[in-house]
Amino acid sequence: MRQFHRPFLFGIPTYAGLMLVCFLFAFPVLWLILTAVRPPADMYYVHRGWNFTLSNFGTVFENERVVESFINSAVIATASTFFSLLVTVCSGYMLSRFKGRVSSSWFGLIYVFRCVPYISWVLPLYFVTQKYGIYDTYAGLLLPHIAVHICFFSWLMKGFFDGIDPSMEYAALIDGCTRWGAFFRVALPAALPAISALGVLCWLFTWNEFLFALILTGERVPMATVVMAQFVSEMGIEWNLMAATAVLALVPAFLLTLFGQKYVIKGLKM
Amino acid sequence: MLPMQKEKKFIFGERERFMLLLMAPAALLLILFQIIPIAIGLNVSFRDWALYNPKETWIGLKHYFAILSDPVFTHTVLPNTFIFMAGSVSLSLAIGMCIALLLNRKVKGQKIIQTVLLLPLMVAPVIAAIMMRWMFNDQFGIVNVVLGALGLETVSWFTNRVLAFSVILFTDIWLWTPWFTILLLAALQSFPKEPFEAAEIDGTSRWRTFWYITLPMLRPVIVVCVVIRTIDAFRTFDIVWTLTGGGPGRGTEIFSLYAYVIAFQNLNFGKGSAAAMIGAVIILAFGLVLYKVLNKVVDTKA
Repeated sequence: MRQFHRPFLFGIPTYAGLMLVCFLFAFPVLWLILTAVRPPADMYYVHRGWNFTLSNFGTVFENERVVESFINSAVIATASTFFSLLVTVCSGYMLSRFKGRVSSSWFGLIYVFRCVPYISWVLPLYFVTQKYGIYDTYAGLLLPHIAVHICFFSWLMKGFFDGIDPSMEYAALIDGCTRWGAFFRVALPAALPAISALGVLCWLFTWNEFLFALILTGERVPMATVVMAQFVSEMGIEWNLMAATAVLALVPAFLLTLFGQKYVIKGLKM
Repeated sequence: MLPMQKEKKFIFGERERFMLLLMAPAALLLILFQIIPIAIGLNVSFRDWALYNPKETWIGLKHYFAILSDPVFTHTVLPNTFIFMAGSVSLSLAIGMCIALLLNRKVKGQKIIQTVLLLPLMVAPVIAAIMMRWMFNDQFGIVNVVLGALGLETVSWFTNRVLAFSVILFTDIWLWTPWFTILLLAALQSFPKEPFEAAEIDGTSRWRTFWYITLPMLRPVIVVCVVIRTIDAFRTFDIVWTLTGGGPGRGTEIFSLYAYVIAFQNLNFGKGSAAAMIGAVIILAFGLVLYKVLNKVVDTKA
């Protein structure tokens, strides 16, 4: 909106400001990458010297626990994305297409539980998962992860379905389609971009999540974020290895964001 | 709405079955993994239950009184939590707004800047915390190296409560400013041009244009962002845990950490649950007020 004629010089502070912004937001990540490619001898003086090596990544891959935790995180993130979408798309559709007491109380419930701090229900979940016998298993982490996404994502999906005109679904119903048919064949294809956007976000959330993983897993199902946080206290002196692990953990998130940039931005705007 | 909606009587027909089936999986998961755990947590919070004392005797509100009269909770944890919420949300909103306004000027390379801004959003908070911990390392961190090179005194960031807290705040702002920017920029770009052109023709100053046109138009977006972020900031755990672990001493402990430490480090599950419940009550009260504000703002807009 501000493309009116401005004195030429006016552009310079704008660009200077934006360069500064870019620098500030990119610098920590660049610094992490730089630390990750320094040999052990130079790791404390990242700003000095030009010796670079990739051996840190090799060392990280030799650590079985790290590799295992990365695989676990990927499995949980993928499965949680799939099931969360399955559940929340349905619930969001219901919230959008039906008005009435059931729908509005469900919406109220979702809002309330969206507010509850994670610790308040993950702490007792620790007892509950032990009681259900699923503590420290894939299921014990996956199910709470799906549950945590229900509130926010149902809310987002409701907003999205509200923006889609239901008249196509009426038409399908009149033409003899069942309600499920109208949902699957008419509403879902129209919502596909939004679903992809949520999918990308959901994967990133789960991959990056820490508190659930910390409380609900132990030795059997280590998760990447927990293993990294343990590193800081256990081998806090080996910053090059630490950084290499963190960089490796960033790679999938980075690729997903880069290729799904359109969807990430769309999802954030929902 | 789908047909048959006008029917007044509640008949459990095909339409209702469809509606309930749609929400059934979500409702079931919510009950099993949120409502039941919270109910169990509530029950545990009234009991004297610790790893070294597994009798689970009913003691009523004793844990609650103990926590509410704990000076660490009232004088460190609560102020920390609220300063963190207010500081993180207001600063990331302000900075995010500045960046969004800069980006809204049809600058070249907007795509690149937007990609850079997405960077913090994909970084796990734990990784961001590790990163900052390394950058603010008192001996080898780049921040102190730069300070030293400038001839300033190097700072030992994590041994001073205020400084450690600032690093935590800085990390959170780094993580969340881009989110504000992207949402505000999207709103800015969706505005009609006419009011701004009119202001331009009338010779209104930039500041006044911003204050009287841009800001009121942005208000609904700002309110939604602030509500979401305030509630999320209250439950921050990972960056504090990884950066300082609550230290020095217990100086940077915030609510989630406090409950976690009682339950899993002191292994006092009863008291930890009580702390978690107190936090839930606080944020729910907050959330209800915010919800009212939200509805009001959205109403005046429409």
